[in-house]
Amino acid sequence: MAISTEKLSSILQNFVTSTNDVEGAALVTPDGLPLAASIPGGMDEERVSAMSAAMLSLGERIGSELARGSVDRIFVEGEKGYGVLTSCGEDAVFLVLANQSAKQGLLMLEIKRTLSELKLLLA
Amino acid sequence: MEIMRLVVTGPVGAGKSTFIRSVSEIEVVDTDRQATDETLLLKKRTTVAFDFGRLQFGPDMALHLYGTPGQSRFDFMWDILIHKAHAYILLVAAHRPGEFRYARRILTFMNQRSSVPMIIGLTHVDHPNAWEPANVGVALGYPNPFECPPIINVNATEAASVAQAIIKLIEHSTCECLV
Repeated sequence: MAISTEKLSSILQNFVTSTNDVEGAALVTPDGLPLAASIPGGMDEERVSAMSAAMLSLGERIGSELARGSVDRIFVEGEKGYGVLTSCGEDAVFLVLANQSAKQGLLMLEIKRTLSELKLLLA
Repeated sequence: MEIMRLVVTGPVGAGKSTFIRSVSEIEVVDTDRQATDETLLLKKRTTVAFDFGRLQFGPDMALHLYGTPGQSRFDFMWDILIHKAHAYILLVAAHRPGEFRYARRILTFMNQRSSVPMIIGLTHVDHPNAWEPANVGVALGYPNPFECPPIINVNATEAASVAQAIIKLIEHSTCECLV
Protein backbone atom coordinates (compact mmCIF):
# COMPACT_ATOMS: atom_id res chain seq x y z
CA MET A 1 0.00 0.00 0.00
CA ALA A 2 1.27 3.44 -0.86
CA ILE A 3 2.19 5.75 1.98
CA SER A 4 -0.45 8.39 2.44
CA THR A 5 1.17 11.79 2.87
CA GLU A 6 -2.17 13.29 3.84
CA LYS A 7 -2.50 10.88 6.71
CA LEU A 8 1.07 11.50 7.83
CA SER A 9 0.50 15.25 7.69
CA SER A 10 -2.74 15.04 9.59
CA ILE A 11 -1.11 12.98 12.36
CA LEU A 12 1.64 15.57 12.62
CA GLN A 13 -0.79 18.48 12.61
CA ASN A 14 -2.90 16.78 15.20
CA PHE A 15 0.12 16.16 17.38
CA VAL A 16 1.30 19.77 17.11
CA THR A 17 -2.07 21.33 17.85
CA SER A 18 -3.21 18.94 20.57
CA THR A 19 0.02 18.66 22.56
CA ASN A 20 0.74 21.51 24.92
CA ASP A 21 3.88 23.53 24.18
CA VAL A 22 4.73 21.67 20.97
CA GLU A 23 5.55 24.14 18.23
CA GLY A 24 6.36 21.90 15.33
CA ALA A 25 7.05 18.39 14.09
CA ALA A 26 8.51 16.85 10.96
CA LEU A 27 8.95 13.40 9.53
CA VAL A 28 11.94 13.01 7.23
CA THR A 29 13.89 10.26 5.46
CA PRO A 30 17.19 9.10 7.01
CA ASP A 31 19.01 10.83 4.16
CA GLY A 32 17.36 14.14 4.96
CA LEU A 33 14.39 14.62 2.65
CA PRO A 34 10.99 15.81 3.90
CA LEU A 35 8.13 13.29 4.15
CA ALA A 36 5.65 15.44 6.04
CA ALA A 37 5.97 18.50 8.23
CA SER A 38 4.09 20.90 10.41
CA ILE A 39 6.73 23.41 11.38
CA PRO A 40 6.69 27.06 12.44
CA GLY A 41 6.63 29.60 9.61
CA GLY A 42 10.05 30.91 8.73
CA MET A 43 11.69 27.52 8.99
CA ASP A 44 12.64 25.86 5.75
CA GLU A 45 11.31 22.34 5.45
CA GLU A 46 14.24 21.11 3.41
CA ARG A 47 16.82 22.49 5.79
CA VAL A 48 15.00 21.17 8.84
CA SER A 49 14.91 17.74 7.21
CA ALA A 50 18.59 17.67 6.34
CA MET A 51 19.60 18.84 9.82
CA SER A 52 17.44 16.21 11.50
CA ALA A 53 19.02 13.43 9.46
CA ALA A 54 22.56 14.68 10.05
CA MET A 55 22.03 15.03 13.80
CA LEU A 56 20.39 11.65 14.28
CA SER A 57 23.04 9.84 12.27
CA LEU A 58 25.83 11.48 14.27
CA GLY A 59 24.05 10.70 17.52
CA GLU A 60 23.60 7.08 16.56
CA ARG A 61 27.25 6.94 15.64
CA ILE A 62 28.15 8.25 19.09
CA GLY A 63 25.89 5.60 20.59
CA SER A 64 27.65 2.78 18.79
CA GLU A 65 31.23 4.06 18.71
CA LEU A 66 31.33 5.30 22.29
CA ALA A 67 29.52 2.19 23.50
CA ARG A 68 26.28 3.82 24.66
CA GLY A 69 24.14 1.18 23.00
CA SER A 70 21.23 1.82 20.70
CA VAL A 71 20.01 5.41 20.75
CA ASP A 72 16.45 6.18 21.88
CA ARG A 73 16.52 9.88 21.16
CA ILE A 74 18.66 12.94 20.61
CA PHE A 75 17.67 15.75 22.90
CA VAL A 76 18.68 19.34 22.18
CA GLU A 77 17.95 21.59 25.13
CA GLY A 78 18.11 25.27 24.36
CA GLU A 79 17.28 28.42 26.24
CA LYS A 80 14.05 28.73 24.28
CA GLY A 81 12.98 25.13 24.17
CA TYR A 82 13.69 21.63 23.04
CA GLY A 83 14.39 19.76 19.86
CA VAL A 84 13.87 16.01 20.11
CA LEU A 85 14.89 13.53 17.43
CA THR A 86 13.78 9.93 17.43
CA SER A 87 14.09 7.34 14.72
CA CYS A 88 10.76 6.17 13.38
CA GLY A 89 11.46 2.70 12.07
CA GLU A 90 14.12 2.21 9.42
CA ASP A 91 12.73 4.62 6.90
CA ALA A 92 12.08 7.79 8.83
CA VAL A 93 13.30 10.24 11.44
CA PHE A 94 10.87 12.14 13.66
CA LEU A 95 11.67 15.68 14.82
CA VAL A 96 9.69 17.54 17.49
CA LEU A 97 10.18 21.17 18.49
CA ALA A 98 8.77 22.25 21.85
CA ASN A 99 9.03 25.45 23.86
CA GLN A 100 10.77 25.80 27.21
CA SER A 101 7.64 25.31 29.29
CA ALA A 102 7.01 21.81 27.91
CA LYS A 103 6.90 19.06 30.52
CA GLN A 104 9.57 16.61 29.46
CA GLY A 105 7.85 13.47 30.69
CA LEU A 106 4.62 14.32 28.96
CA LEU A 107 6.45 15.29 25.80
CA MET A 108 8.25 11.93 25.66
CA LEU A 109 5.02 10.03 26.17
CA GLU A 110 3.24 11.99 23.45
CA ILE A 111 6.17 11.43 21.10
CA LYS A 112 6.06 7.70 21.79
CA ARG A 113 2.34 7.59 21.11
CA THR A 114 2.65 9.54 17.88
CA LEU A 115 5.57 7.39 16.76
CA SER A 116 3.47 4.26 16.99
CA GLU A 117 0.75 5.92 14.89
CA LEU A 118 3.28 7.02 12.29
CA LYS A 119 4.96 3.61 12.18
CA LEU A 120 1.65 1.97 11.32
CA LEU A 121 1.38 4.15 8.24
CA LEU A 122 4.97 3.60 7.17
CA ALA A 123 4.95 -0.17 7.61
CA MET B 1 51.68 17.86 17.74
CA GLU B 2 50.27 20.11 15.09
CA ILE B 3 46.83 19.29 13.74
CA MET B 4 45.87 20.28 10.24
CA ARG B 5 42.23 20.06 9.26
CA LEU B 6 41.57 19.28 5.62
CA VAL B 7 38.11 19.35 4.12
CA VAL B 8 37.14 17.16 1.18
CA THR B 9 34.17 18.51 -0.72
CA GLY B 10 32.50 18.13 -4.11
CA PRO B 11 29.29 16.97 -5.80
CA VAL B 12 27.54 13.68 -5.02
CA GLY B 13 29.52 10.66 -6.18
CA ALA B 14 32.79 12.51 -6.76
CA GLY B 15 34.53 10.11 -4.37
CA LYS B 16 34.81 12.11 -1.12
CA SER B 17 34.04 9.27 1.29
CA THR B 18 36.19 6.85 -0.73
CA PHE B 19 39.02 9.38 -0.72
CA ILE B 20 39.03 9.51 3.08
CA ARG B 21 38.58 5.77 3.53
CA SER B 22 41.60 5.13 1.29
CA VAL B 23 44.10 6.90 3.54
CA SER B 24 42.67 7.08 7.03
CA GLU B 25 44.64 5.25 9.70
CA ILE B 26 41.67 5.01 11.99
CA GLU B 27 38.38 3.41 11.15
CA VAL B 28 36.55 6.20 9.37
CA VAL B 29 33.68 7.83 11.22
CA ASP B 30 31.03 7.85 8.53
CA THR B 31 27.39 8.87 8.59
CA ASP B 32 26.10 6.98 5.57
CA ARG B 33 22.40 6.55 5.09
CA GLN B 34 20.31 4.85 2.45
CA ALA B 35 19.82 7.31 -0.42
CA THR B 36 16.28 8.04 -1.56
CA ASP B 37 16.83 10.91 -4.01
CA GLU B 38 18.51 11.23 -7.42
CA THR B 39 21.72 10.11 -5.66
CA LEU B 40 20.38 6.59 -6.23
CA LEU B 41 21.33 6.88 -9.90
CA LEU B 42 24.96 6.86 -8.77
CA LYS B 43 25.05 4.88 -5.55
CA LYS B 44 23.00 3.30 -2.79
CA ARG B 45 24.24 5.17 0.26
CA THR B 46 25.10 8.77 0.93
CA THR B 47 26.84 10.84 3.63
CA VAL B 48 24.43 12.91 5.74
CA ALA B 49 26.68 14.64 8.29
CA PHE B 50 30.38 14.14 7.59
CA ASP B 51 33.14 11.57 7.22
CA PHE B 52 36.11 11.78 9.50
CA GLY B 53 39.50 10.19 9.05
CA ARG B 54 42.94 10.71 10.50
CA LEU B 55 46.40 10.46 9.01
CA GLN B 56 49.79 10.92 10.64
CA PHE B 57 51.90 13.16 8.42
CA GLY B 58 55.52 13.19 9.56
CA PRO B 59 56.49 12.99 13.23
CA ASP B 60 54.78 16.17 14.37
CA MET B 61 51.77 16.71 12.18
CA ALA B 62 48.44 14.93 12.23
CA LEU B 63 45.93 15.42 9.47
CA HIS B 64 42.25 15.41 10.26
CA LEU B 65 40.22 14.76 7.14
CA TYR B 66 36.61 15.85 7.00
CA GLY B 67 34.39 14.87 4.08
CA THR B 68 31.24 16.91 3.44
CA PRO B 69 27.89 15.63 2.18
CA GLY B 70 27.42 16.32 -1.53
CA GLN B 71 23.82 17.53 -1.65
CA SER B 72 23.19 21.24 -1.12
CA ARG B 73 20.44 20.59 1.42
CA PHE B 74 23.34 19.80 3.75
CA ASP B 75 25.03 23.15 3.15
CA PHE B 76 24.91 23.88 6.90
CA MET B 77 27.47 21.07 7.21
CA TRP B 78 29.59 22.68 4.47
CA ASP B 79 29.45 25.87 6.51
CA ILE B 80 30.41 24.22 9.80
CA LEU B 81 33.27 22.27 8.28
CA ILE B 82 34.82 24.99 6.11
CA HIS B 83 35.03 27.46 8.99
CA LYS B 84 37.50 25.23 10.81
CA ALA B 85 39.45 24.06 7.76
CA HIS B 86 43.08 24.90 7.09
CA ALA B 87 42.80 23.87 3.46
CA TYR B 88 40.37 22.03 1.23
CA ILE B 89 40.17 19.93 -1.89
CA LEU B 90 37.27 20.06 -4.30
CA LEU B 91 36.71 16.67 -5.92
CA VAL B 92 35.00 16.66 -9.29
CA ALA B 93 34.15 13.68 -11.48
CA ALA B 94 35.84 14.61 -14.77
CA HIS B 95 33.42 12.55 -16.86
CA ARG B 96 30.22 14.22 -15.61
CA PRO B 97 30.37 17.74 -17.08
CA GLY B 98 26.72 18.22 -16.08
CA GLU B 99 27.97 18.58 -12.51
CA PHE B 100 30.60 21.26 -13.13
CA ARG B 101 28.14 24.07 -12.61
CA TYR B 102 27.12 22.54 -9.29
CA ALA B 103 30.78 22.12 -8.31
CA ARG B 104 31.26 25.79 -9.07
CA ARG B 105 28.39 26.57 -6.71
CA ILE B 106 30.15 24.66 -3.94
CA LEU B 107 33.33 26.56 -4.76
CA THR B 108 31.54 29.91 -4.46
CA PHE B 109 29.93 28.82 -1.20
CA MET B 110 33.31 27.89 0.27
CA ASN B 111 35.13 30.95 -1.04
CA GLN B 112 32.52 33.28 0.43
CA ARG B 113 33.21 31.83 3.87
CA SER B 114 36.87 31.05 3.82
CA SER B 115 40.01 32.05 1.99
CA VAL B 116 42.07 29.00 2.90
CA PRO B 117 44.19 27.42 0.15
CA MET B 118 42.49 24.86 -2.06
CA ILE B 119 43.17 22.51 -4.92
CA ILE B 120 40.91 20.73 -7.39
CA GLY B 121 41.05 16.95 -7.64
CA LEU B 122 39.67 15.25 -10.74
CA THR B 123 38.32 11.75 -10.28
CA HIS B 124 37.18 9.24 -12.91
CA VAL B 125 39.83 10.57 -15.32
CA ASP B 126 40.26 7.11 -16.85
CA HIS B 127 36.74 7.35 -18.27
CA PRO B 128 36.62 7.89 -22.07
CA ASN B 129 34.36 10.93 -21.63
CA ALA B 130 36.59 12.58 -19.05
CA TRP B 131 37.43 16.24 -19.65
CA GLU B 132 40.96 17.63 -19.78
CA PRO B 133 42.06 19.36 -16.55
CA ALA B 134 42.47 22.75 -18.24
CA ASN B 135 38.93 22.59 -19.62
CA VAL B 136 37.52 21.64 -16.24
CA GLY B 137 39.35 24.66 -14.82
CA VAL B 138 37.60 26.91 -17.33
CA ALA B 139 34.24 25.27 -16.56
CA LEU B 140 34.80 25.92 -12.87
CA GLY B 141 35.32 29.61 -13.50
CA TYR B 142 39.07 29.93 -14.03
CA PRO B 143 39.51 31.05 -17.66
CA ASN B 144 43.02 32.23 -16.89
CA PRO B 145 45.25 29.20 -16.17
CA PHE B 146 47.62 31.36 -14.10
CA GLU B 147 44.87 32.19 -11.66
CA CYS B 148 43.55 28.66 -11.48
CA PRO B 149 44.25 26.63 -8.33
CA PRO B 150 46.30 23.48 -8.93
CA ILE B 151 44.33 20.72 -10.66
CA ILE B 152 45.41 17.14 -10.16
CA ASN B 153 44.11 13.72 -11.09
CA VAL B 154 43.11 11.50 -8.20
CA ASN B 155 42.12 7.88 -8.02
CA ALA B 156 40.10 7.98 -4.80
CA THR B 157 40.20 4.21 -4.44
CA GLU B 158 44.00 4.10 -4.36
CA ALA B 159 45.86 5.08 -1.19
CA ALA B 160 49.01 6.20 -3.05
CA SER B 161 47.08 8.47 -5.38
CA VAL B 162 45.10 10.03 -2.52
CA ALA B 163 48.33 10.53 -0.56
CA GLN B 164 49.78 12.37 -3.58
CA ALA B 165 46.77 14.66 -3.62
CA ILE B 166 47.12 15.38 0.08
CA ILE B 167 50.82 16.14 -0.28
CA LYS B 168 50.00 18.51 -3.12
CA LEU B 169 47.37 20.24 -1.00
CA ILE B 170 49.77 20.68 1.91
CA GLU B 171 52.55 21.93 -0.37
CA HIS B 172 50.14 24.38 -1.90
CA SER B 173 48.94 25.64 1.45
CA THR B 174 52.44 26.04 2.88
CA CYS B 175 53.70 27.93 -0.17
CA GLU B 176 50.66 30.21 -0.10
CA CYS B 177 51.45 31.00 3.51
CA LEU B 178 54.97 32.08 2.54
CA VAL B 179 53.79 34.49 -0.15
